[in-house]
Amino acid sequence: MDLENQARIKELAEKLGPENLVVILGGAEAEASGLAAETVSNGDPTFAGPLAGVSLGLPAYHIFEDAIKNLVDPQVYDDQVSMMEMVLDVDEIIKEVSTYREQYAKF
Amino acid sequence: MSKFRVVHYINQYFGQIGGEEKAHVPPSCKEGPVGPGMAFKAVLGEEAEIVATVICGDSWFAENMEEAKATVVKMIAQHKPDLVITGPAFNAGRYGTACGAVAEAVYKELNVPVISGMYPENPGVDMYRRYALIVETGDNAAAMRKAVPAMGKLALKVLRGESLGTPQEEGYISRGIRKNYFAEERGSKRAVDMLVAKLKGEEFHTEYPMPQFDRVEPNPAVADITKARIALVTSGGIVPKGNPDHIESSSASKYGKYDIEGIDDLTAETHQTAHGGYDPVYANQDADRVLPVDVLREMEKEGKIGSLHRYYYATVGNGTAVASAKRYAEEIAAELKQDGVDAVILTST
Repeated sequence: MDLENQARIKELAEKLGPENLVVILGGAEAEASGLAAETVSNGDPTFAGPLAGVSLGLPAYHIFEDAIKNLVDPQVYDDQVSMMEMVLDVDEIIKEVSTYREQYAKF
Repeated sequence: MSKFRVVHYINQYFGQIGGEEKAHVPPSCKEGPVGPGMAFKAVLGEEAEIVATVICGDSWFAENMEEAKATVVKMIAQHKPDLVITGPAFNAGRYGTACGAVAEAVYKELNVPVISGMYPENPGVDMYRRYALIVETGDNAAAMRKAVPAMGKLALKVLRGESLGTPQEEGYISRGIRKNYFAEERGSKRAVDMLVAKLKGEEFHTEYPMPQFDRVEPNPAVADITKARIALVTSGGIVPKGNPDHIESSSASKYGKYDIEGIDDLTAETHQTAHGGYDPVYANQDADRVLPVDVLREMEKEGKIGSLHRYYYATVGNGTAVASAKRYAEEIAAELKQDGVDAVILTST
């Protein structure tokens, strides 16, 4: 996860309180999505960014996960996301993201 | 007991200064751990601590290599380390090269051991593996999770003065150091055992790994060789007598460009080899055996080739890093093209 996004999420968590935040990911690939989920929960595993050593404990979901998908207007989801849902490895992405969420998210 | 002192070298990205847009920042030094140093802190525990972190932009290092090495080593020396950690650099080329160059300078000038971490294909591995224990890592920063514990464990082992096992046992990349030991079985039996295992599709470990070579697509054939200007380039170390550029006999750090205008034959009085990887006697007697100036002059006179280029280029291929060889070749090829050379004969040893 790039340094700017880490800084933004850290700032939001400080401003709004981590218990009031959920991160929704749109990553196209499992490893990168998992990295992002780990970064916002346990801290930046690459130790490069502002979240290095900072465990915000934020839960991260991928937009493909039913918990999020069902909250979205089906028409909008269809227009914006369903195309990618057809071509990407959805199961692998969800597995990776949920693994880190279950392990490190505190809220 | 006081803690062992460790200094950590990282680039601008891991130093949390910024990405590519900050790659031009010159070296700076901070007290204590920064970025990945925080992860090392957990692994090093009570036994060792990162007392300082030196950070340098990758581009700055690459563009000011000598100054960068000197400045970084000076900063490191001020903190009197027992050990230096560089990286891990994964597969980042400039970062790996910087980590390796710092390792070389620290090892040579401060006589302090260095632990690094890189992906095996990082050019820094090939160039500098002699000077550091380079732990094999994955190719991107996500491999930090595995790299840090492995590097930290090795660092503690070195600090405690424990003897190291083989690269495979310890997880670092071979430094090319040979250690003698008594094997249980003789060589022929071990070789046959390996062959049998291979035929059965079982796992086996070679005792002599082969280097990996990339493939180079050949250029189209020369249209008319009787009109072509031909240049000679060699990795066989043929130099004018006395080796004026002091090309090293192994792991050459440079190449030479030599004028052969008016020379029809290389002799024991005029030329020799600088190469330390083969028996030099026959090359020293008659350097044409490696760099065939005599034959090409004859072909030139007979009209079989257009002409022999006025200069030849030579380096020593013995143990020379592939990355260095590529750089020499790029420079040499650019000059040859500029000089209107049509084809090159490369001779080795």
